[in-house]
Amino acid sequence: MTSLSRANILARVSEQRGGSDGTALSDWSKVSRPIPVPNEWTKPFWDAAKRGELALQRCQACKHFQHPPYATCVRCMATDLAFEPVSGKGAIYAYTIMYHAGDKRFAAAIPYASIIVELDDAPGALLAANLLEAPYTDAKVGRRVEVVFQPLNDEFTLPQFRLAREAR
Amino acid sequence: MWEHRCKVAVSGVGFSRVTRSAEVPLAAHALEAVKGAVEDSGLALSDIDGLATYPELPATGHAVIDGITIVSVNCMMAMLKLPNLAWHVQVETVNIGGAVQQAVNALLAGVCKYAVVWRAMHNPKGTYQNLPGTYASGPAQFTAPYGFGGPGQGMAVAYTRWLERHGQSREKMATLAVTQRRHSHQNPHAYFCGQPLTREDYLSSRMVAYPFCLYDCDIPVQGAVAIVLTTAERARHLRPRPAYIAGYGQRLAFEVAGRIGSLSSYMEGGRSSSRLTWERSGFSPKDVDVAQIYDGFSASVIYGLEAYGFCKEGEALDFIQDGRIELDGELPLNTFGGSLSTGRIHGLWHIIEGALQASGRAGERQVKDVNVSFVGASAPIVQGTTFIFVKEPY
Repeated sequence: MTSLSRANILARVSEQRGGSDGTALSDWSKVSRPIPVPNEWTKPFWDAAKRGELALQRCQACKHFQHPPYATCVRCMATDLAFEPVSGKGAIYAYTIMYHAGDKRFAAAIPYASIIVELDDAPGALLAANLLEAPYTDAKVGRRVEVVFQPLNDEFTLPQFRLAREAR
Repeated sequence: MWEHRCKVAVSGVGFSRVTRSAEVPLAAHALEAVKGAVEDSGLALSDIDGLATYPELPATGHAVIDGITIVSVNCMMAMLKLPNLAWHVQVETVNIGGAVQQAVNALLAGVCKYAVVWRAMHNPKGTYQNLPGTYASGPAQFTAPYGFGGPGQGMAVAYTRWLERHGQSREKMATLAVTQRRHSHQNPHAYFCGQPLTREDYLSSRMVAYPFCLYDCDIPVQGAVAIVLTTAERARHLRPRPAYIAGYGQRLAFEVAGRIGSLSSYMEGGRSSSRLTWERSGFSPKDVDVAQIYDGFSASVIYGLEAYGFCKEGEALDFIQDGRIELDGELPLNTFGGSLSTGRIHGLWHIIEGALQASGRAGERQVKDVNVSFVGASAPIVQGTTFIFVKEPY
């Protein structure tokens, strides 16, 4: 059977888009990202991000981290939950590369990598992000990443990820 | 085993025309499908005394207008004015398979005699997932700012994890798309009936959300399908040969809203649904003669085959090769073309095909010697339900 490697497909799509210089960095400059609307359960996450910290909701009874924040601990049902800082180091759990401008606000950045990160400190808590400072072709399951903070406006800062030094 | 196995059956089935966009109000499609199912059973509308549906419009950012973009139970009641109506329900958590299961329960409880279940799907003008908002609230505040704009991406992330953890290649999925398209050529109601799709078409098609190319995604359409359910005893006196419901199950595991990318949620959702279906019916995957597994995105079939127990985790893309899913293969799969070829009508069409195969009414695409017919309706993670239909009650 005909077999096309993923690299071939990506290269072909890249050529179709006129970008064959090998860098394939997504252009985020013209993207207007939706602005998060915190609620009382999620506000500490966004407050921490604005300070340049990554903080996740943690069960004070069983010490389980969870994300997205929830009303109860999804492991032990305790309701005593608090946000605690985590190191921001982890690995790509899963990813997709978006070629379709279904969300018109992101049309200028396609193709771009949307990734799901699992943090070393918080196994099972999955964070959505983009892979920044690297070609979207560098997104691979298991690759090491570290948090960076991307200001969205005066009020909000997005936790984002780039390849960890050892993975670059 | 379930004491109520084979006590309820699918009798008639009905289809509306399927068009790419809305040419007539959705209610007209739903009426056409419902009338077709009732007529197929040899019944009159006045015989129908139960109604059930799951009316959700999966497209986001579009107005919900009853009769135009959805067809609710109220809408159907207003149109049909059934003189003997005795029971109705509209479900929310388990998709259209849940509506079918509620109808089964109502028939077993004796609160109605002939229930109709329909699924009507609208394709709005413009962008299907219309996301113009400046703000992202609720669970979307953690995903939308990163460009996770639609269900395709949510499904795609779990699929990259599946592919790379198992050392698999997406090119093998061409077999599923091409085989299902060939099956659809024997299904005159399918949107893509008569339009060929080759392996090369699949491999050279444009990427949508890697690893999904265009042909990994079902096509949004406007259309409706419907079924008549009744007790086994009554079904035996109707025109079509009955397809007996030997067992069913529903997804019993749920991770929190907004959790994205988790492969385990698909597998646990599918396992929990099928485990009860196997237990209730007394069958196991090796007994199945033909299977319909929801394919809104191709990868749902892969998760389904593994979670339901047809093959081991990581093996499904190999399992579908070598003719195994052809009409004369070991496990003929999505024999009506699946959503990839019929268009996006959600899982009721899978249920219909499962019933038609069990009752020997699938026409040119009929699989030989079918007794046990399996259906996984809806993606296992989302609102999955599973069914087994049989030809012979036991």
